[in-house]
Amino acid sequence: MGEVIVITSGKGGVGKTTTTANLGTAMALMGHKVVLVDTDIGLRNLDVVMGLENRIVYDLVDVVHGRCRLKQALIKDKRFDDLYLLPAAQTKDKTAVTPPQMAELCQELATEHEFVLIDCPAGIEQGFKNAIAGAEKAVVVTTPEVAAVRDADRVIGLLEAAEVSNPGIIINRLRSQMVKKGDMMDMEDIMDILAVEVMGVVPEDEYIIVSTNRGEPAVLDRNSRAGQAFYRIARRLAGESVPMVELASGNGFMGRLRRLIGLS
Amino acid sequence: MDALNSSPEDMGAVLVERTLRSGQSVSYAGHVVVLGDVHPGAEIVAGGNILVLGTLQGTVHAGVGGNEAAVVVAFRLRPSQLRIAHHITRPPDGQEFVPEEPEIARVKNGMVIIEKFGQHREG
Repeated sequence: MGEVIVITSGKGGVGKTTTTANLGTAMALMGHKVVLVDTDIGLRNLDVVMGLENRIVYDLVDVVHGRCRLKQALIKDKRFDDLYLLPAAQTKDKTAVTPPQMAELCQELATEHEFVLIDCPAGIEQGFKNAIAGAEKAVVVTTPEVAAVRDADRVIGLLEAAEVSNPGIIINRLRSQMVKKGDMMDMEDIMDILAVEVMGVVPEDEYIIVSTNRGEPAVLDRNSRAGQAFYRIARRLAGESVPMVELASGNGFMGRLRRLIGLS
Repeated sequence: MDALNSSPEDMGAVLVERTLRSGQSVSYAGHVVVLGDVHPGAEIVAGGNILVLGTLQGTVHAGVGGNEAAVVVAFRLRPSQLRIAHHITRPPDGQEFVPEEPEIARVKNGMVIIEKFGQHREG
């Protein structure tokens, strides 16, 4: 049986879909059999970010309502044979499926895939309840902003209440320059507030915008800092032990040199 | 709008006088004519033909009951996906092609082909 992992955040725009696309692609790159599920019914995006929009014939709602078989709705990725996407419907809304139906669907997907990654919609209403219904594990994405961290805290509480075990945190879009100046929260600050394990920190990277527009996840680009951070997180999620990389550039050689000559 | 079983010819056409945006869907047993654009993420399903007097970027399905004679015509035909009867087609990956004149898509010898509108009568 595969593992069902929901990627959630509470707040919108912090990078759930980008995270799902990159973690899934990284896992496929590592040789795992992965399926990505978009549960944002009515506002789907994962298909666009994966560059698979024009391949959609059936969607999650069609599967749940028995209009097609599960296999017919799964879209094979362009780049990896063992990576699939189950797209959300765009012309329906969140009430088109129920949590028990989602739980059953996740069960079925987990029989044939090692990892089932569920892209959760923003909010904590029905879409969120659907997304977490079949999940055993959760990844909470946040950015180093008070509002996003506050929402992450709320969501962690809801996950605990729903018995989705030990959520891990991904801190997305960290700007090490701002952290150094004391203008942005760093990993320790966020860990202090949320009191859960941090799975990884993803630096702010303009290339993400290019990659999501092109429909090519950033993990496929060796030069993308964010992409490489997502790759390390995917390895941790798959059970490997990968050391945390210190993102604050001030701790490198140049940083030490600057401190030596009293520049910072 | 629900009489998908009667033949498209009996049903006439529906005129949609607005732009169809992402998530919006028009489904009709006869022909569908749109006076506006069809954005990506919008959907038109028709038993008969689909005519878009504007730019078509969404997903369209003409001849949904199996009518292979159905056609799709648009001022600018750039669909995410285009289906006629049981045929499903999509643009090739990695090429952003922007047509400069009206085009027609139809089934010919078991394949969906796209031609300049007007030229198709000669062939």
